[in-house]
Amino acid sequence: MPQAGLKTIIALSFVLAVGFLLVILSCALWRSYYPLLVVATYVLAPVPNWICGHCANPDDFVESTGAAVLDLGRFCTGFLVVMGIALPIVLAHSSLISVPAMIMSVIGGLLIYGTIISFTMFFQEEQEF
Amino acid sequence: MEEDRLWKFRRPEWMNSVWARSAGVYAAGGLFSLAFYTLLDAAVWSKSARNGSDLHVGFVDWLPFIFSSLGMLIINSVEKARLSADSYAYSGSAVAWKARVVLFLGFAALAGGMAGGVTICVLRYVVPGVPFPAMGMGVENVVANALVGLSSVVLWVSQNMEDEYAYNLAL
Repeated sequence: MPQAGLKTIIALSFVLAVGFLLVILSCALWRSYYPLLVVATYVLAPVPNWICGHCANPDDFVESTGAAVLDLGRFCTGFLVVMGIALPIVLAHSSLISVPAMIMSVIGGLLIYGTIISFTMFFQEEQEF
Repeated sequence: MEEDRLWKFRRPEWMNSVWARSAGVYAAGGLFSLAFYTLLDAAVWSKSARNGSDLHVGFVDWLPFIFSSLGMLIINSVEKARLSADSYAYSGSAVAWKARVVLFLGFAALAGGMAGGVTICVLRYVVPGVPFPAMGMGVENVVANALVGLSSVVLWVSQNMEDEYAYNLAL
């Protein structure tokens, strides 16, 4: 079990490095550093969920205020995730960045976000034991 | 709860799960983000070098979206459980009546935003006969307001799912 966890961590960090490589390459090749915003978006994306998860008591089914706070966090996270895809498209549509840079930054951003999500999932799975 | 059901078709069972509810809320956030970035795309495009025309997106183009978002905020801030309260249960302060008034204001703002988007598209872009790359700014305005409406529908439905789920769990 620890070896599988180690392999998972190595694979995840590799994917994370590839994602960062794609995003930074998409900035540096065309000398316009707007796609770096994608990284900031995806790093910030799980934060509302995390904060609202700490604010609310999820076992509280009688009072629906806890569920409302959780829903607010989910809403903001969904907003930020789609923002990470929409931002390069907006920039490319106004020719602030080129279309290959858009494609590279979208793929890189999805890799980064996927790494963050799967790392959180693995971490929570370990916490349940 | 079974015999006072209004509709013929039952809600499928999988819709009552926690998973479906949170997926609905995430989807609502995504749709709202899509709406915001559609409108932002129009604004950025109008200032970019690609815009050959002298039409530009100003504050007026943002106004329908502001109203739509305000309506969405109002609609989804109302506690849904108070809405279905019969006249006896909460008659003390007439909460159900107040909830209906507030909800009416919210839906009016949402529909007003949608109508405002169509108005801007027609008055500023269709009637002067703007050619298409600039016409896209008007179309994007309509699309953005429609997406806000869709997002608030998704959020409403998934929050109602949550109520049903809590009810099932309480029994």
